[in-house]
Amino acid sequence: MASDINPPKNEEPHPKPAATGEEKNWVSRWREPTGSRAVLLSLLIIVLIAAIGTLVYETGGTGFAWVHLMYLPIILAAAGFGIYGGIAAALMAGLVLGPYMPMDVVKGLAQTMSNWMFRIGFFLLVGAFSGLISKFLNGQIDRLKETHENLLRTHEELKSAQMKLIQTAKLESIGRLAAGVAHEVKNPLAVVQLGVDYLTGALKDEAKPDCNETVQEMGDAVRRADSVIKGLLDFSRSEQLSLLPQDLNAVIEESLLLVRHELTQHQIALEKQLAGQIPQVRLDRNKIKQVFINVFMNAIQAMGDRGNLSVKTFVQRSAAADAAGQNPPGERVVLEVADTGTGIPEDKLDKLFDPFFTTKPIGSGTGLGLSVSRNIIELHQATITIANRKGIRGAIVTIAFPVSERD
Amino acid sequence: MTKKKILVVDDEVGLTRMLKRNLEATGRYDVRTENAGAVAVAAAREFQPDLILLDVMMPGISGDEVAAQLKEDKKLNHIPIVFLSAIVKKEETEPTGGNIGGLTFLAKPVKLDDLITCIENRLGK
Repeated sequence: MASDINPPKNEEPHPKPAATGEEKNWVSRWREPTGSRAVLLSLLIIVLIAAIGTLVYETGGTGFAWVHLMYLPIILAAAGFGIYGGIAAALMAGLVLGPYMPMDVVKGLAQTMSNWMFRIGFFLLVGAFSGLISKFLNGQIDRLKETHENLLRTHEELKSAQMKLIQTAKLESIGRLAAGVAHEVKNPLAVVQLGVDYLTGALKDEAKPDCNETVQEMGDAVRRADSVIKGLLDFSRSEQLSLLPQDLNAVIEESLLLVRHELTQHQIALEKQLAGQIPQVRLDRNKIKQVFINVFMNAIQAMGDRGNLSVKTFVQRSAAADAAGQNPPGERVVLEVADTGTGIPEDKLDKLFDPFFTTKPIGSGTGLGLSVSRNIIELHQATITIANRKGIRGAIVTIAFPVSERD
Repeated sequence: MTKKKILVVDDEVGLTRMLKRNLEATGRYDVRTENAGAVAVAAAREFQPDLILLDVMMPGISGDEVAAQLKEDKKLNHIPIVFLSAIVKKEETEPTGGNIGGLTFLAKPVKLDDLITCIENRLGK
């Protein structure tokens, strides 16, 4: 394709949320740990219980304040492993303190079996309660995380919608501007055209080849300028459609008829593979013909002399359409136009539908053909993508129309 | 041969001048030009043209308003009008010979040959 082409976009329906930095949060890393972290945390809890047990023993028994330090590993276990972790740590702590009872008795402290049981019960209560709080907090963290991700996703979607709105507004402004420019430029252009016609008549009988050539070149320049203006008018008015159910193959045939002369002139072979019995699609016949002719002419110009133009239609079923990420999904009638031309430089692929962008030599293209085409295609709720062919020279244009609802 | 009288109304002075020069150079037409819609009807009453070439978008009174006034005037409503418009495209006017909704339009910039063909068609009717 010599001109405006749209690379297929594989946009994710929901963009991934940006990294939140949460992965680096130590609380998150140690929450409900698994694998080596679970082993490390378990060892830490065991060591703490043993160390506190030793401290209690060394400082005079369970009647002293140091025994309260035992809550720390219990709460830690509950925070890391939940209720069961807290209960396990509480039992362990209780068992560790058990052997100190005789020593307590020797020292005259009031440590009895009932006291010991009471302490284990208290440890269990703290472990279970801490586990519950931990579970509740983990649930809250999960909900916050989910909300955060949803917010990020919504933010991305809003940003994307905003960009689309800005783009639409820009195109509308360009459309209005284009219509104004077209009108203002056409009047002086008409003066020049009539001037050229007048001079052509006046010089008809004069043997002044330079003058005749000059006037002819002026006439060619007017025609070129007029084609730019025509593109601007097309661009500004592409939103007006008259949609009727149509046979896409018939529209393609009509459009090909109009470029037949160009195909012959450039010795380009046409390969048609039009699927029979395709469902009808709602089209503005003239506007779509304008798009098809633009696509065919781009392909022909990209091939220069000699080449192959392949025109293929087929029905894409909903599953395939969905898998291709097309929007709106559903049954579609697809036109593929492939050429054996120069293809498109990779760095130009994303600019092909921009107004006034062209890959054609200066003076050969207005840079509006594909912008207008895409506008028209999108107004049909259809899609147009352009890409380089894989493993072969040339470009491929894919236009997919949603199928009209059947009675 | 009697020259046909053509009234050209367009706010673009250069264009009316060029139309006059081109059409009169054929030897078949007598052309009067006006550059404002406001004076078009009075000029038509005075000049009694065989055909009017009328710009559509003009400051003040636009071409369609001028046409409406001409159609209301019993002495002028028979005069064929060819609209010269920068808004329509050649692709829209050519297939129907300029006829859009019963009116005759020519897209600017118009080539002299196309203009003369159109004028002759309208005068022949």
